[in-house]
Amino acid sequence: MTPRPYADPYLAGVGLGLVLLACFALSGQGLGASGAFASAASHVAGVVSKNAWVEGYLHGGSWMLVEVGGLIVGAGLSAWLAGRLAVSNAPSGRFAASLTGGILMGVGAALARGCTSGLALSGGALLGVGAWVFMIALFAAGFLAAPLLRRLWA
Amino acid sequence: MRDLLVAAAIGVAFGWTLERAGLGDPPKLAGQFYLRDFTVLKVMMSALVTAMLGAFWLDRLGVVDLGKVYVPETVLLPQLVGGLVFGFGFVLSGLCPGTSCVALASGRGEGAATVLGLLVGMLLMGLAFPSLEAFYGATPIGAMTLPRLTGLPYGVVVAGITVACVGLLAAIGRWEARR
Amino acid sequence: MSTTRRLGLGALALGLLAPFAGSPHRAVSGALDFDAIARAIDDGSDHVSARQLGTWIRARKPGLRVVDVRDAKAFAEDAIPTAENLPIDRLVSTAFKPGETVVLYSQEGAHAGQAWVLLKALGVTDVVFVPGGLADWWEEVMTPVLPADMLAADRDAAADLSRYFGGFPQVGVANGEPVTPKTYRRRGC
Repeated sequence: MTPRPYADPYLAGVGLGLVLLACFALSGQGLGASGAFASAASHVAGVVSKNAWVEGYLHGGSWMLVEVGGLIVGAGLSAWLAGRLAVSNAPSGRFAASLTGGILMGVGAALARGCTSGLALSGGALLGVGAWVFMIALFAAGFLAAPLLRRLWA
Repeated sequence: MRDLLVAAAIGVAFGWTLERAGLGDPPKLAGQFYLRDFTVLKVMMSALVTAMLGAFWLDRLGVVDLGKVYVPETVLLPQLVGGLVFGFGFVLSGLCPGTSCVALASGRGEGAATVLGLLVGMLLMGLAFPSLEAFYGATPIGAMTLPRLTGLPYGVVVAGITVACVGLLAAIGRWEARR
Repeated sequence: MSTTRRLGLGALALGLLAPFAGSPHRAVSGALDFDAIARAIDDGSDHVSARQLGTWIRARKPGLRVVDVRDAKAFAEDAIPTAENLPIDRLVSTAFKPGETVVLYSQEGAHAGQAWVLLKALGVTDVVFVPGGLADWWEEVMTPVLPADMLAADRDAAADLSRYFGGFPQVGVANGEPVTPKTYRRRGC
């Protein structure tokens, strides 16, 4: 099946906003992603070192983990139905870049207590100061770093 | 239990929407930073404005109590530095934590690599935390919101952000039309 | 008119109307929602007894977080079971999630009461404190004196709770003389 074209970004954006709104109304908090990674990492780190960060996420409950599990299911389902499900290797050079990018984002999200979805989007919609600071900083850094990484995305 | 069912449902809808928009595709996301593909800003700004206006008006209509919704706390310095580091990582991967899961679910190798990197990055932070604790907790101002910070009424800030975001999206639309 | 255009105009309309719609609950112009805090103090929903806390801990109430706001040294010497130590300066930079019930305590309750006001000002909704602090914990839970004229059901429940935590309930009157309670009181806040 030829892959279906992507949805209109504005419609997808409004749809995403409505999902976030439902999340606010039904669970009293925003959605997120990095929290699940922090939770998973804290279980591993907790074996070696018990500190405030680790303890916080160890006892933080499983809401985020379940939500991200749903994320994977929803994304996989959408990809499959749209003919976009295909196992592919990262192009050469991109695997290392993705890995490094992930490490940096892990560090950044840990420091900021959130990521683009949990902090910038959810916090931003609630007018949180830290959310807007984080969002502006991340876009600024991205635009500044882009010229250096041109060859990666040529 | 109900909480977790809601979490799962929200997650599925979230993942579905991200994938439909094409946000599991690294070159598409990275393209934002080369002004080639504005999907990231279009989706983010539309989502933010929709949720912000929705939350505000549902609160005014008495359907939702905004006072009971968790606002992420503000810790200025770590969030500023965290944002800068995160942004750099974002252009490197062409994915963020949520979209890396979308890429993974679609079978993309970059998705798996980014997810692995995220786990490693978080693990390093967890292990190094004792030495970072002072910086991590620097400059906290609690669950501060823009209205409280500026003293402006909530509705005025909502109006301002709506105008700014819609204006930005309109400008993007004009830029794209000219190319 | 395209859908996108309509969405944009709709958003602008809703956004520009917002300043005329009044302020949401949370957006009080000042750090403290005086009304809500005053109401909570008045109707007593700002605190719980040590005994109530004991029942919650025993029932493993989901989302319960027992927070000791004293310094680390005092915490190491003696603390309520399942408590975590968050002295006030760390407490104010801790983010509590919705669904979590935070119960604050200190030595005798004064510091916990102050911490309660701080957390309310920071927007934490589900937070209470133990008015008599750790001292109350010992008096009500660990070594309660349960007079013989107390309702049997209440007395048994209290004695049972005490024993669950390894305490020594003193029930009724012994040898015709009132039993003097073994108390553990330390001066403090």
